[in-house]
Amino acid sequence: MDKEIPELITVESSRDSHRWVAITALLLAIGVILHTISPNVGGVTPNWTIAMYSITTNLTHPGILRALGTGFVAGLTIVPSSKSAFPLGNIASELAGSLTACLLVKAFVAVHLGRFRLVPLIVGFFATLVSGSVFTNILCLVLGLPFSTWLKVMLPVVVVVAVLNALITQVLYRPVEKVFYTTGGAQDE
Amino acid sequence: MSEIALRLTDFYYAYPNSDIMLKDISLTVEKGSFTAIAGPSGAGKTTLCRAMTGIVPYYYGGRYAGTVEVLGEEIRGKKISDIAMHVGIMLDDYESQMVSLTAGEEISFSLLNHGFSPDEVDARVHEALNDVGLPDRENYQLDELSGGQRQRLLLASVLATRPDVLILDEPVSAMDPDGARSLYQLVNRIHKDHDMTVVVVEHDLNYLLPYMSHMVLMDHGEIAISGTYEEAARKAYHHPTLCGNLPELWQLKLGLEEKNGIALGSWRYEEEAIAELQKHFRGGARE
Repeated sequence: MDKEIPELITVESSRDSHRWVAITALLLAIGVILHTISPNVGGVTPNWTIAMYSITTNLTHPGILRALGTGFVAGLTIVPSSKSAFPLGNIASELAGSLTACLLVKAFVAVHLGRFRLVPLIVGFFATLVSGSVFTNILCLVLGLPFSTWLKVMLPVVVVVAVLNALITQVLYRPVEKVFYTTGGAQDE
Repeated sequence: MSEIALRLTDFYYAYPNSDIMLKDISLTVEKGSFTAIAGPSGAGKTTLCRAMTGIVPYYYGGRYAGTVEVLGEEIRGKKISDIAMHVGIMLDDYESQMVSLTAGEEISFSLLNHGFSPDEVDARVHEALNDVGLPDRENYQLDELSGGQRQRLLLASVLATRPDVLILDEPVSAMDPDGARSLYQLVNRIHKDHDMTVVVVEHDLNYLLPYMSHMVLMDHGEIAISGTYEEAARKAYHHPTLCGNLPELWQLKLGLEEKNGIALGSWRYEEEAIAELQKHFRGGARE
């Protein structure tokens, strides 16, 4: 007769605690390089950094504090290469963007849609929309521009960049996911 | 001082989001022994190796019950990197364990991470390369080494930490028979020279017959048979599915013993078998 299986103790994987740092750092570094070299076409440049942290957020499902940390680092990395009138605004905008990505992913998981194929697209779009809106609003405040300028000039650009970023996030998500899960545990046996 | 190198007691384990992979494992590996682990694919051999080093469950995560002791101390709460100083493991996908550009850097990586002085690191790198038959290759780029040499290099990087226990997970799965025999001769020499406890997962036990002192046969995540080699082999011979795992020489020996009601020697080499068979069965008839 088979022996009764005792109560099993659950252990969190320590592997993932290092892997999220590695994958986030790697993608943010790629984002900085692309952000620096991407040409401006018709006043619009995709924000690679937001696309990259949207991907890592989808992959690693960070908590709010970790998302804020990622957003802060992402903002810092953009500041030196920023071509805008107020580069430090990027810190606030990326904090908001990363937090948005984190909350959206949590929301999708909560309603059991975590594996829905278009989650990266939606997360990339809204993270960019929020980040861009925060940044352009800060810019309006700093430069003393009226709200109508933001609404009529800046918001349409933000929406276009958000669409571009959504596509980039969706396209890059699967390859990065494949790399991230190359060395799985249970798959080994 | 404990004479037990490794002990697993009532150990169960399941990877995250997976069924139970190891069931009710109770196993003792004595110090200085050479233990072979065999069994069909998916029997849990690799997972058992990982459990002996703490990689399972503390690195992979998952669910477990029971205890694992290394040199008499339970590993719960210990860092995997500290356990690695006592138990070295070489994975079947050995290339994935390589992290550096040159042979010297590869071996010194773990030593430097453990805070050894540069002089001590140099001495250990030199000794480890000598041990595996790659003397003075410190500055060789990894791509200048053949597959077999890279495997020896990885063995050197495990040996450089001077572990008490060496675990090898199917180390010859991608090698030709000559390369496989040569690697196991090397492992046996290290086992003897350093009085090291060795645990090897191997499909083909013919390679290990000359060296193994103990044998463990696994099936469906459980230890079906374990013990000293001869004792375990005799039990395995009567097992409906695991008898095929025995070395061919021993399948022949145990078959002859059973059929003819004789007791043959504890063959480890073909020469021994030939000599004894000629003595017993000269001219086609039993003497």
